[in-house]
Amino acid sequence: MLTSESRGAVHNQEHKLYDELGALARFVDHAMKAISAACPQIMSSSTQLPTAASHLSDLSKMTEDGTLEVMRLTEMIQDNHGRIAKELSAIVEVLRAMDCVTLAGRLGNMTSVFAQDGKCLTEIMTALSFQDLVAQRVKKLVAILNEVQGKLMELIVVFGLQDSCEAACDAGTAGYLLKQLEESKTTARKQKVADDILAQFGFK
Amino acid sequence: MPADLNMKILVVDDMVTMRRIVKNILKQLGFANVEEAENGQEALQKLRADTYGFVVSDWNMPVMTGIDMLRAIRADEKLKTTPVLMVTAEAQQSNLVEAVQAGVSNYIVKPFTAETLQEKIAKIFK
Repeated sequence: MLTSESRGAVHNQEHKLYDELGALARFVDHAMKAISAACPQIMSSSTQLPTAASHLSDLSKMTEDGTLEVMRLTEMIQDNHGRIAKELSAIVEVLRAMDCVTLAGRLGNMTSVFAQDGKCLTEIMTALSFQDLVAQRVKKLVAILNEVQGKLMELIVVFGLQDSCEAACDAGTAGYLLKQLEESKTTARKQKVADDILAQFGFK
Repeated sequence: MPADLNMKILVVDDMVTMRRIVKNILKQLGFANVEEAENGQEALQKLRADTYGFVVSDWNMPVMTGIDMLRAIRADEKLKTTPVLMVTAEAQQSNLVEAVQAGVSNYIVKPFTAETLQEKIAKIFK
């Protein structure tokens, strides 16, 4: 049997609990409103992240293409140098046999200049390893962006904004590609995206 | 014993630019017989099918990493004595220790020069 005193204590505790629950409910409501207010920005950031990742991948591809072209030209010069050096050596031998020592000496000097150039060309080749380091950093950045996008998507789903996301996806593959084309205005893959869209409509 | 310039060398890297750089330097050093693989798995297939003087490999690669490939090489009766030179951007002490424990022959940190590669190859075949 509860005494009137202990009944009063229970009543006080219930009242205190009710107040705390009320405060908690108001806090949750306030937090929900704040997050809902931020949701358009979250949605916007979430949709922009794949474009940012795409820009980074483009950057990687562009540096690779540029690097390979510099390598192709450098290798061409290296091959030409090799051929010219052989010819020069042969001419120097002939001149020496003909007692044209001065001329042979001057051509010999050219051979050493060529050797120095060759060293520079090798250094140009090795300096191009920056592309590999850039590509590795880009990969890491893309992974981070993908992770952030995943977290933002979780937020969107948790706070009930997935409907608008689904609406965006309803445009189908061609719609998605058109969106990509719009977003890729400043990227190097514009033609590739345009070709993909045309292929969707039966263009070969 | 100096390195035999006619021996076959395998360059393993997922980046085409790095494979080309290493191949170019090796060519300048006189090694003309250079083959390529894009990852550890492809490299192992090539190593098991032919005889190579040594391997120059990247660390981070998809499908099979350089360190996993190195362990597979050291565990293979036919390949276990093949020298493996690791070329990587990862220069942390833990990576170096891991590579040494796995049986790496030498280690180069990117970016590197032609002289560094030449020096490491010379050390392997000393």
